[in-house]
Amino acid sequence: MSKTLSKTKNQKSRLNILIIDDNEQITKLISSFLDMSNHDCTVVNDGKEGLELIKTNQFDSIILDLAMPEFDGYEIIDAIQKEDPLQMHKIIILTASSISIDIIQKFKNLGVSACLQKPIDIDQLLSSITDIAT
Amino acid sequence: MFKIKQALFLIFGITSFIIFYIGFLNYLKTQDSNMGLLILLFSVIVSVGTLLATFHVSKNLTKPIETLVQRMQDFSQTNIVTPNPCDDGGIQELHILHKNFEEMANKVGETLKKEKQLNIKLKEIDTRKTEFMSMISHELKTPIMPIMGYIQLLKKEELMGELNEKQMNALNEIAISTERLQKIIQDILTAQKIDLGKLSSEKENVQSRVLVENAYRAFYPYCKNKDVQLTMLLDTNDNVYSDPDRVSQVFSNLISNALAFLPEKNGTIKIGTLNNSDENVTFYVQDNGIGISDDQQKNIFKKFYQVDTSSKRKKEGSGLGLSICEGIIKNLGGRMWVKSTLNQGTTFFFDLPKAQVPVDHLDSLDKPSHSNHLAS
Ligand SMILES: Nc1ncnc2c1ncn2[C@@H]1O[C@H](COP(=O)(O)OP(=O)(O)O)[C@@H](O)[C@H]1O
Ligand SMILES: [Mg+2]
Repeated sequence: MSKTLSKTKNQKSRLNILIIDDNEQITKLISSFLDMSNHDCTVVNDGKEGLELIKTNQFDSIILDLAMPEFDGYEIIDAIQKEDPLQMHKIIILTASSISIDIIQKFKNLGVSACLQKPIDIDQLLSSITDIAT
Repeated sequence: MFKIKQALFLIFGITSFIIFYIGFLNYLKTQDSNMGLLILLFSVIVSVGTLLATFHVSKNLTKPIETLVQRMQDFSQTNIVTPNPCDDGGIQELHILHKNFEEMANKVGETLKKEKQLNIKLKEIDTRKTEFMSMISHELKTPIMPIMGYIQLLKKEELMGELNEKQMNALNEIAISTERLQKIIQDILTAQKIDLGKLSSEKENVQSRVLVENAYRAFYPYCKNKDVQLTMLLDTNDNVYSDPDRVSQVFSNLISNALAFLPEKNGTIKIGTLNNSDENVTFYVQDNGIGISDDQQKNIFKKFYQVDTSSKRKKEGSGLGLSICEGIIKNLGGRMWVKSTLNQGTTFFFDLPKAQVPVDHLDSLDKPSHSNHLAS
């Protein structure tokens, strides 16, 4: 591993993050936290819009809620897997604790970067984001 | 067993035959052939008349009884009272019998119908209750997420600025209550999953010692802090086939309970394993707390049940802990029970199935190894 390479990558400290969650309070919480931590956030509260943004923009990481009305996280992951599987490693899934271990394992096998359980641990969230960027 | 019809025909058949026979004998005996013929004729008429009368009576008597039998059979199969297909032959008793049957059957039918409706209603209420519970716990859970997030955020000095001591105390109080609320909601959701048979578990072969040690390590600092003596006693270290996360959930519930009911001074808690059988490892959590009376022991595993104490005993919790523990242990193939003496202490036990001896080393012997393959 070349040290210089990882160093240059590390230099990009301001990250571009997409947050997809139907709960506005949660998106507000995460975006204000990431904002304070000097990252750029784009927030959507609707799954379909989220997928559009993923297709048309380049994000460093994507925070994705699974349970959403109409177009949910599962559908977004399905679409990414079909159309742009290279984006999969950017995804951090937020799950309710009721999600079974099998499903989490399935997401991991698809290449998803992390599955974080709600209630959110904001430190864990931040380190998951920086993990992707390095 | 015989039918009324058969009996009637037998009795009256024999009677008419005897009448005919006597007439015939008389006919043979009398010299006066005219008189003899007359007697014979008379006896024939009487016996035929008897047969006809029998036929008539049998029709009027047996038909209503037969139809009653048929109606009863119909009713027992369909719960519907069929209309009476024949008149009752004018026999009063049979008429009353039919009427009484109809009345009784109608009442029974009504009761059954009501019961059925009640059953449907109960099922409806039950599913609505389950839906309501899941809606409520989901709705409660959703706003707790941001609350817990902002509590974490507020504690971040470098982002939010330093809080003064009073503010920090207030924030800590908010955090404690929020966490308790979150645990109750979590418990309700777990209890519900157990109810619906949807509890998932990830079983693996694990040393029983490791399971006890995990619990010991999790609670040791707290116990030391509270001057409670926590000890670990291992009678066996056999492997069990179980889900370590679920088992630690059970231990955590049992130890929390023990802590809640310990005496003010010299509280001791012992956790460990017993080697009682070839199939199971028995785990236990023992305390020297206030104990549970025999009467109450039957109830404590019920959902939302808490022993009623008007006294100073701590009354925190939802009453779901033990029902969840029992549900988890059953789900893992074991069972759970309690032994307790009032004012002396309580021991909760649970069994977990031992791991089967692995057999895969046997078939690995006759398979050629990978390196051989590559070499050839
Ligand atoms: N170790 C113990 N000693 C005495 N009483 C106990 C003990 N564990 C449980 N109980 C009784 O059983 C009840 C039910 O316990 P649990 O289901 O865990 O609910 P909770 O702890 O929320 O009250 C408790 O309220 C308490 O009255
Ligand atoms: Mg309890």
